[in-house]
Amino acid sequence: MHISDGVLSAPVLAAGWIITAVFIALAIRWSKKKGIEVEVIPKLSVMTAIFFVVCLVHIPIGPTCVHFILAGLLGIILGILAYPAIFIGLVLQAFLFQFGGITTLGVNTVNVGIPALIAYVIFQRGMKSELLSSRRGFSAGVFGAIAGGVAVFLIAVFTASALIASGEKFTGVAVAIIGAHIPVMIIEAIVVGFIVTFLVRVKPEVIGSLGGDKK
Amino acid sequence: MKIKRVFAILALLLALFCVSISEVSAHRLVIDHEIGEIGIKAYFEGAGPCRDANVKVYDNESNLYLEGVTDEKGYFGFPPESGMEEYTVTVDAVHMPGHKEETVINLSQAAAGAGTDSAGGTEMPLFTRIIAGLGYLIGLAGAAMAYVGWKLKKKYEGR
Repeated sequence: MHISDGVLSAPVLAAGWIITAVFIALAIRWSKKKGIEVEVIPKLSVMTAIFFVVCLVHIPIGPTCVHFILAGLLGIILGILAYPAIFIGLVLQAFLFQFGGITTLGVNTVNVGIPALIAYVIFQRGMKSELLSSRRGFSAGVFGAIAGGVAVFLIAVFTASALIASGEKFTGVAVAIIGAHIPVMIIEAIVVGFIVTFLVRVKPEVIGSLGGDKK
Repeated sequence: MKIKRVFAILALLLALFCVSISEVSAHRLVIDHEIGEIGIKAYFEGAGPCRDANVKVYDNESNLYLEGVTDEKGYFGFPPESGMEEYTVTVDAVHMPGHKEETVINLSQAAAGAGTDSAGGTEMPLFTRIIAGLGYLIGLAGAAMAYVGWKLKKKYEGR
C-alpha cells in the first residue's frame, strides 16, 4: 500500500498530489460549512492514531507479508474527514517508519483515501436502504463488513493501477498486490463488521456515516 | 633369504604408512585466505525477509556493476571490484511491487566503523517512533481544539 519513492512516473505523482489537494480542500470546506463540533476532533485524532499504528500489524502470506489498513472503518466513522485523517497518518508513517515515500504521499493518499470514501458511501446508502432495516445492528454489521472488504479490494486495485500506469507489468502487479490482499480483505471485513455492529448498538452517534457529525 | 624377508616387512610398513597418512598434517600450519564479499540483507521492518527481490549494484559513476536476486533470507552478496570504494545498491521487491529502497555502501567508511551498517541501527526504536507519532497527533488535536475554541469564543463575544 505504501509505494516508495522512485517507483512511479512524474505524471502519476503529479496527478496524485492534485487529487489529494482537491479532496483535502473539499473536506476542509465541508467541515467549515457544516460547522464541525469540538467533539469531532478527538474522534478524528483517535481514528488517525488507529490508522497510523495498524499498519504495523503484519500478516505473512507466502513469500511476502501484508498489513492491516482499516480504511473502511475510517470512512464509516469519519465520513469525508477520513481523507485528511489518512493523509496525516501517511505523513507520520512516511517520516517515522519510512513507509512509502515523500513524493508518493499524494498517490498513496489517493489509493487509501478514495476507497475509504467509497466505503463511507456504501455504508451510508446501505443503512438508509430498506434492506435489512428491521434489524439495525445486523444490517450495520453486514454493510460494515461489505464496506470494509470493498475498501481493501479498491486499495489494492488503485495501488496496482498506479504502478501499471508507471510502466509495471499488468499481470505481475495485479496478481501480487490483489492476490496478497485477499486475506486482509476477508479479515478486515469481519473486523469492521463487528466494530460497526458494536458501535451502532452502544454509541451510534460516533458513526459519521449515520449523521453523527451533523448538528 | 633373510634379507628378502626384511625387505618384504619394510615394504609392507612403507605401504601401511602411505595408506595411513591423513589429510591433516600434524605440524604444518596452513593459512587459507579469501577476500570477503559485500553482503546486504533486505527485509520488511517488523515483518520478514524481502526474498527474491531484484538487486542492482552501481559503481560510483552510476554504471551498473552487477545484478541479482536476494535469497530466501533476503541476503545478497557480491564481490568487491579492486579499486572501487563506493557502491549504490537498489532493492526492488518482486512479491510486493511498489517497494523499492536504495543504499550507498562505502568500503573505507565501513572499514573505519564496525564493519556492518544497518539502516535501522541508527534510528530510534520502533516503540519510540510509535509514541512520537501519537505525540504528534495529540499535538495536532490540541492545536485544532484551540483553534475551534478560539472561533467559538469569537462567535459568542460577537453576540
